[in-house]
Amino acid sequence: MAELTKDHIDYIIKDLHYRGIVLEGFEDEIIDHVCAGVEEAMGSGKKFIDAYEATLRSFGNTDGLLETQKKVIQVRTKTTSMFKNYFLLALRNHIRNKFYTTINVAGLAVGIASCIVIMLFVKHELGYDNFNDKADRIYRVNTALHFGSVQKRLALGGAQLNDLFRQNYPEIESTARLWDWGPRYVRRPEHNERVQEKMVWADSTLFAVFTLPLVEGDARTALKEPNTIAISQTMAAKYFPEGNAVGKSLLIDDNVNHRVTAVFKDLPENSHFHFDMFRSIVELPESKNMSLIGGGWMNIYLLLREGADPQQLEAKFPAFIEKYVGPQLADALQGDFNMEKFKSQGNSWSYWLTPLRDIHLHSDLEGEFEANGNITYVYLFSAIALFILIVACINFMNLSTARSASRAREVGIRKVMGSLRTHLVRQFLTESFVLTFISFVLALAIVWLSLPVFNGLALKTLSVPFDQPSFYLALVAAIVTVGFLAGLYPSFFLASFKPVNVLKGKLALGTKSGIVRSSLVVFQFVISIFLIVGTIAIQKQLHYVQHKKIGFQKDQVIIVHRAGFLKNHIQAFKDELLQNTSITAGTITGYLPVTGTWRNANTYWPEGKIPTHEDVKDMVSMEGWFVDNDYVKTLGMTIKQGRDFSREFPSDSTEAIVLNESAVEKFELGPNPLGKKLSSFTANRPDGSPDPNSIKSWTVIGVVEDFHFANMRENIAPLALFLQRSDGYVAFRFKSKSTQAVLDKIETLWKKLAPENAFEYSFLDEDYGKMYDTEKRLASIFAVFAGLAIVIACLGLFALAAFTAEQRTKEIGIRKTLGASVNSIVFLLSREYGKLVLIAFALSTPVAWYGVQWWIQGYSYRATIGLSVYMLAGGIALVIALLTIGYQCVRAAMMNPAKSLRSE
Amino acid sequence: MHSPELLKGTLQTIVLKVLKDHGKMYGYEITQRVKELSSGHILLTEGALYPALHKLEADGLLNTEVVSIGKRIRKYYTLTSPGKVQAKERVAEFVDFIQTMGSVLQVKLN
Repeated sequence: MAELTKDHIDYIIKDLHYRGIVLEGFEDEIIDHVCAGVEEAMGSGKKFIDAYEATLRSFGNTDGLLETQKKVIQVRTKTTSMFKNYFLLALRNHIRNKFYTTINVAGLAVGIASCIVIMLFVKHELGYDNFNDKADRIYRVNTALHFGSVQKRLALGGAQLNDLFRQNYPEIESTARLWDWGPRYVRRPEHNERVQEKMVWADSTLFAVFTLPLVEGDARTALKEPNTIAISQTMAAKYFPEGNAVGKSLLIDDNVNHRVTAVFKDLPENSHFHFDMFRSIVELPESKNMSLIGGGWMNIYLLLREGADPQQLEAKFPAFIEKYVGPQLADALQGDFNMEKFKSQGNSWSYWLTPLRDIHLHSDLEGEFEANGNITYVYLFSAIALFILIVACINFMNLSTARSASRAREVGIRKVMGSLRTHLVRQFLTESFVLTFISFVLALAIVWLSLPVFNGLALKTLSVPFDQPSFYLALVAAIVTVGFLAGLYPSFFLASFKPVNVLKGKLALGTKSGIVRSSLVVFQFVISIFLIVGTIAIQKQLHYVQHKKIGFQKDQVIIVHRAGFLKNHIQAFKDELLQNTSITAGTITGYLPVTGTWRNANTYWPEGKIPTHEDVKDMVSMEGWFVDNDYVKTLGMTIKQGRDFSREFPSDSTEAIVLNESAVEKFELGPNPLGKKLSSFTANRPDGSPDPNSIKSWTVIGVVEDFHFANMRENIAPLALFLQRSDGYVAFRFKSKSTQAVLDKIETLWKKLAPENAFEYSFLDEDYGKMYDTEKRLASIFAVFAGLAIVIACLGLFALAAFTAEQRTKEIGIRKTLGASVNSIVFLLSREYGKLVLIAFALSTPVAWYGVQWWIQGYSYRATIGLSVYMLAGGIALVIALLTIGYQCVRAAMMNPAKSLRSE
Repeated sequence: MHSPELLKGTLQTIVLKVLKDHGKMYGYEITQRVKELSSGHILLTEGALYPALHKLEADGLLNTEVVSIGKRIRKYYTLTSPGKVQAKERVAEFVDFIQTMGSVLQVKLN
């Protein structure tokens, strides 16, 4: 049989195309058939062209061919395996357009991956304390009090509340108290080495209220007796590696032996507290006989009975306060106290409940166990996730509609051949689904790889829940949603082409027609610019708080921790090290201007004002810090008025105080506060309320310039320095360049004076930096996602630009032959997109401005986020966008016109 | 040449049976084979054959396999297992039909 030559086959293919045979899967088959027929005819001696004519005649010429094609289409449309067909077509289309498919998949995968990561984070945050079976019935009691200028919102309640609530309210099934005294030293009695553990006092009802599964011991009896302790599995393994912890002893703070009565499974990460040890509060003297207004402030949880209404319970609290708190206040304040007067002076006392599951995201009160999350960030990150996903979907839509020109003919033929609009919509949707599916698979891989990085950024231990069926369900739902989101518009857009126009070649739609497409690009850049502004704003505020004049010199100060271990050697420790020439100053104190060190707030008033209800407005809550003579010098603070403590005045240690400027203002001491006196209680009565017979006064000898000792979210609070010993830390100021030598010296001496305790130290500037860890985390997360959004948006822009350039090849060729320069063509091509970015800039600036203002309102001390920030963000977006399309534009502009004009 | 009207109902049966006997075949090959078997009395028109093939494929009776030969792409058809069953049934059905027709038309079939 005669073999057809290449040219013959080409001729046949072209001719059949010309006659309108274009159907996928049918076209190839017919070509082969015709070829085979021609070969046979030629075998019997015919010339090619005659053989071809004869073969075609057997089909019934063009009409017959088209009729057959139409029948095949009809067969296909009617049958159930259409989906497979769509699927194959989709796959082929994607493979044929590798460049666009890659861009689409890459963008969508990164977008989906970001979205999944953020969703995991959000789910984790929303799931706090859900592991408790009775979570929906557990409430924490909070206290709000406003008393003179003392204003507090506490996650705590007085110890006495526990019993009184249970006696008064039958709807309370059980209560559990947790009292946190900070980490305690623990060791086995027979061992010497002791370690600090996270421990809390707890009621025996703990196990009835919270769901803490026990590995060993009995939940009903554990913690019922004094000096018993329940420990976590980790702790059991640490202290009793031989097993069977129950019944064994642990020595706490070197003095009390506790018997282990239970071992519980480690608390899950999404719990609002993470203690390793619960010690029985039974018989703890400090928790007994306390008044409601005095000491013993602890975290109290109520377990309500099924069906009990927390709001009804809350409604009963005012009467409760009237009945129980009122008399105690009257007793403490003396005089003719009554609640009406108390309230009429603007004071208040109230209790309210926080549902357990709301604690992590909705509660930020004094006395929380841990720094809680913030619902705002959950919203914020969810919004970012959604934004990124939308940006990625827009890429898909834009590329699909932009390429519509090249697919218009297919649409036209299909329609002529009897495809209905719905068939086409279905086909294009399938394409979008195939792509979405591939992207999801890729996204999962990305998530799996990048989750450790995100965990590092957000300080979480998230994992992909591959073992949960619900995760897969959610994925399927997401694929469907994203597939529709990305595919619906292009599908209808493509399917709505009119065959008449398309086949006449009237379709310039691909390149221009782009109002929708342009708006979508604008939208992408609005989001990107918004995120860039956010990133810069957070960075600026961070920089501001870290470089603002903070009232002390944080550099070159080393802090020796756990100075209490030096016991009576502490003064010698300091004095001996001061002999060293590299160490310029040193101070012994528990109070440092970074969080995590000691704090001691108390109520003070100008001397002479008796703290009864008449004068409560004069009472001010003020920090009282116990420091030594060298404190101000060591930390580099500035004395504004008067003098610092001095060894020349022995009475300083009993009668003198140094105030900060904020305290001078709060007490209204006027321009000359020196010599004025402040008073306060110095002792409590046995029930914890202040003892009126213990009032003492101090004379103001100096005023220190305000310095920041808390996060700059807060105003600088009133503060007084007292010349008194507190031995939490020893801080040294040292000369630069000798850090290691100084450290070695300090450590050597520590080992000599406190050999049994490890030497721990930190640097003041680093501790100060840690106060802004939350902000730093926010900043880096924001930066990462802003970066991703921009990358995805630019990916789309890149492909779009490539497409435009391709479409306009001829135009560029003609322009060049007519004398256009490369520059002018690059300008011509990039102008359009540059315009879009500028519009996006104009639109996003007000939104971003609003967002930034809202965020920064949370700070008492704010950086100025001026117009320059917005200009910078817009500039960055514009530059990145131009760079992206620049490559394509330059490539198109450089093309040899002779070549581009000859093509086709 | 037989009338296409007569062929109409038997086209699928012919295709199935031919494929059953010969295994893998492409469209042109099928037309040629049928022509040969019928000594030129039956000519499958392309206009009827291809829609039928696609219909059978869509119904899951045929599998396709695409082989590239030089510049052309050849599409081979084979029977799937339900296709084989169908081939048998349809042939049996057709034999039955011919016998019935024999009695109806009062002609003797050998």
